[in-house]
Amino acid sequence: MGIETSTLDRSAIHGEEMVLNIGPQHPSTHGVLRLQVLTDGEIVTKITPYIGYLHRCFEKHCENVTYEQVIPYTDRCDYVASMNNNFGYAVAMEELMGIEVPEKVHHIRVIVAELNRIASHHLAIGTFGLDVGAFTPFLYCFRDRERILDLFELLCGARLLYNYIWVGGVSHDFPIGFVEKVYEFLDYFEPKIQEYNDLLTFNKIFIERTADVGVLPADVAISYGVSGPNLRGSGVKWDLRKNEPYSIYNKFEFDIPIGTGAMGTVGDCWDRYYVRIRELEESVKITRQALDQMPREGDVHAALPKKIRPPKGHVYSRTETPRGDLGFYIISDGKPKPFRLKLRSPAFTALSCIDEIARGWMIADVIAILGSLDIVLGEIDR
Amino acid sequence: MIRYFSNIWQSITTLLIGLRITLVHLAKARKGIVTLQYPEERWPRPERNIGFSHDSYNVIRSRLHVDIDDCIGCLKCVRACPVDCIHIKTVKVEKGTDILEANHIGITSNGTQKRLLLTRFDIDMSECCYCNLCVYPCPEDCIFMTGGPNSSKQEIDYEFSEYNRSDLIYRFAKVPKDQVEKYTPPPKEKVKIDVAG
Ligand code: SF4
Ligand code: SF4
Repeated sequence: MGIETSTLDRSAIHGEEMVLNIGPQHPSTHGVLRLQVLTDGEIVTKITPYIGYLHRCFEKHCENVTYEQVIPYTDRCDYVASMNNNFGYAVAMEELMGIEVPEKVHHIRVIVAELNRIASHHLAIGTFGLDVGAFTPFLYCFRDRERILDLFELLCGARLLYNYIWVGGVSHDFPIGFVEKVYEFLDYFEPKIQEYNDLLTFNKIFIERTADVGVLPADVAISYGVSGPNLRGSGVKWDLRKNEPYSIYNKFEFDIPIGTGAMGTVGDCWDRYYVRIRELEESVKITRQALDQMPREGDVHAALPKKIRPPKGHVYSRTETPRGDLGFYIISDGKPKPFRLKLRSPAFTALSCIDEIARGWMIADVIAILGSLDIVLGEIDR
Repeated sequence: MIRYFSNIWQSITTLLIGLRITLVHLAKARKGIVTLQYPEERWPRPERNIGFSHDSYNVIRSRLHVDIDDCIGCLKCVRACPVDCIHIKTVKVEKGTDILEANHIGITSNGTQKRLLLTRFDIDMSECCYCNLCVYPCPEDCIFMTGGPNSSKQEIDYEFSEYNRSDLIYRFAKVPKDQVEKYTPPPKEKVKIDVAG
């Protein structure tokens, strides 16, 4: 009955490959990114990401402004986690200049960085749900993220681009009552993680969409230089806060969540997502400890000359942002402006492996894979 | 077969768990929990008494304002700005004296005697990145973001939209137009041309 498909010449039905452009303006590319997808029917055979739509010459700009003025520019690299970017730059500069900052500054920085990590993971989780078709968790995530932004607004007036962590300190102390407000937020927020789990994480439809999809094996992740939650999702226990502690992260107790393949294979989209959920809990833990241990009195600036002029030399320092290792390479020639400043972006390396892990999947899965990588185009293009 | 039905069962139960949360949320929903009808309602801003132990903290990001009577033209804010959106021109005048026709008051409210007359003080708010860096170095505390801790000096203004981009250039200098010429020094006769540059 009918034609026996096995006797058909496969090449006869094997049509031409089609080029499909996703982006630059596409809601699931998380910014302005163009993916040129080569498809064979519904199956993806090759993906070429085209970047540069958001290029603002960050590195070149930095050579023309003084060291203090670089900080507002670092804000705009990873604009969902500005505090962490400020932090990375400040840590690099302090290493270059050999400054010791007061104990209180360390604590303030850790608190705001971890709060910003929570806010950034909220965005990652919410938009990932949105990408695979779950609209509700997105609104819940934004409701809670808004509280963190309100806290930051109280702290420094800005909601996204803070310019708060400065070289040798922070721009100003916590307002009166801020610490209590952060405690209040943490108490409010901790039970909400369970809510996200009920809404999205263990939802069967969500698991079907993400488990076993876009597996990133550990060796591929390492060879591409992938870092952060994406690397940990592949089962590699690597977190700079533990492995190369900067600031005062060695004083805090926390775990590094890694992907276990609970719903499918180690390193699939669900693992990468779940690592972020678990990191929310860890960030809450760190913030609580930092708040408990923070000295209430004290100055929030290290003794610094009026003009920041680091000695001749160069430094490479990296910190753990919500997206992975953020590295700053700064060359100083003794003038008040950097001679060269290079930023190593974790989102860039995460995007670079998309061809490897998304090949062979359906177009709809590419969207899920891209969402699970949690890229921010501001940082990729700089 | 068992797998098929268990999948269906799991889908239904997990969906119901999710739905329960949304229903609980719906039951608890009150007005203003998330959505605000923006032009009619406004999100509360950190107000004037936000409780800083130090009153020189400038913790608001809105429109920049300059108390031009207090500005001594020291250019510290210009040097601090990472995007060069503050433009100042000054002329040397007699120290500490008022010049009435140019609306110039000789002494600031901090008691500093002014040596310079500001013929131009423009801030291009369309270029400003609201980084607050210009506010900190000012010795007379005369450049600040409106609202917040500065509400007593200037009411908050963060929605200054204009039809024309050039309307976003705020001109603070008070020297009348016809007087500017008088105070602008004549251009130097010999313009040196730097060939190598
Ligand atoms: S806030 Fe920043 S960008 Fe705006 S005028 Fe001041 S220094 Fe320049
Ligand atoms: S820093 Fe203050 S006093 Fe000096 S020019 Fe700017 S606004 Fe005027």
